[in-house]
Amino acid sequence: MNQFAALDLQVSIGAQEIFKIGNFSVTNALLCGVVGSLIAIIVLVYTALSVKRGIYNRFVGLVQWVFEGLLKQINDIIPDKKLAKKMTPLAMTIFFVVMFDYWLSVLPGLDTIKIAGVPILRSATADLNFTLALALITVVTVQIYAVKYLGVFGNIGRYIRNPLKNPIGAFEGALEIIGEFSRGLALALRLFGNAFAGEILLIVIGLLASYAATVVLPFFMIFELFIGFIQAYVFFVLVLIFTSLAVTHGGEHSEEPA
Amino acid sequence: MQSYTQFGEAANKSVFESLGIDWQMLILQIIAFLILVFILGKYVYPWLMKSVDERQAKIEEASKAAAEAQTAAEDAEIRVEKLLKEARTEAADILATAKLESAAALAASEEKAKKRSEQIVADAQDEIQKEVVSAKKALHNETLELVALATEKVVGKAVSSKIDESLITDSLKAVK
Repeated sequence: MNQFAALDLQVSIGAQEIFKIGNFSVTNALLCGVVGSLIAIIVLVYTALSVKRGIYNRFVGLVQWVFEGLLKQINDIIPDKKLAKKMTPLAMTIFFVVMFDYWLSVLPGLDTIKIAGVPILRSATADLNFTLALALITVVTVQIYAVKYLGVFGNIGRYIRNPLKNPIGAFEGALEIIGEFSRGLALALRLFGNAFAGEILLIVIGLLASYAATVVLPFFMIFELFIGFIQAYVFFVLVLIFTSLAVTHGGEHSEEPA
Repeated sequence: MQSYTQFGEAANKSVFESLGIDWQMLILQIIAFLILVFILGKYVYPWLMKSVDERQAKIEEASKAAAEAQTAAEDAEIRVEKLLKEARTEAADILATAKLESAAALAASEEKAKKRSEQIVADAQDEIQKEVVSAKKALHNETLELVALATEKVVGKAVSSKIDESLITDSLKAVK
């Protein structure tokens, strides 16, 4: 702590308030979240309009290539084409928004551009409010589709079974309930942990490397860009896997990555 | 500048507050994200999905066309092979026929040349025979004249051609 203090390092787990609108406090993560979402919207709308008008360039080709790859993944993971099509907007939006939000933490000025002592740049993915929101949306969506495909009782049957008739099944059901909560929590904490740790890593490297940071930091920034893509992809894939598992009632168990 | 972590203040706050979780913010972010998903899903993704479908359809079409072209090429190759085989057989037939015809033509020409040469030889022999007969006749006549002249000299008087001729004939008969 003392060493960090000497380096003038501030670490805040929660997002910090920059200003207030009425009673609502606008935090640095929220601000960056809005910017990241706007970038995602601009990129996607620009690509869609270009495709609609038949104007192609390298950027449009790149976004289209990524979109096509993700769409293939959706269709591969979710066998039901109808469900895959329904899940596409959520999964795609999660991927693009998470990726662009994560990448904002790599912008120069992290922890140095401040308003009233509060850093402006803080990725929304490094705010538990955002990651928890995404996890809640995912869990609820998965439950909605599970009810649609299995019915209310069918879905309840995944969790609650008669312990007298099927004691192992009842135990499995209890584990399934715990699994649902842990999956949601893991989704939120995984993304938050990676993004938050990534930001701290960049700040610490910047402080420790001092003037050499000009040379050292770009390598870590590239690494963080890569991690951002990976985290967005992992979240995207997990959303699809959870959905696929929920609608496929056959007693399969998920193999969630660490 | 004062340095701190929120862990130090966590003792006086709830877990959620320590982690920076604000329920108002959480609900706002959920609603905002759902609106974003709805807008993008309604107005943006359909175009991109359509373009992907079109591209895949084009790829499938191209793949189908390529497969058809390959089949056509294979068929053409088989046809070409068949045609070549036929052409080779035909060429072999033509060659054999040509050989036979040329051999026949050669034999015919040889025969013709032989006949022609025999004819030439026969003609030459006839000519020689004629020449011989003619020479003999000329010699006979000359002999007659010479004999006549000689007789005239011997007899000392000219005899008429009738007497002369009879004399010569007699002389010749005697000589014979």
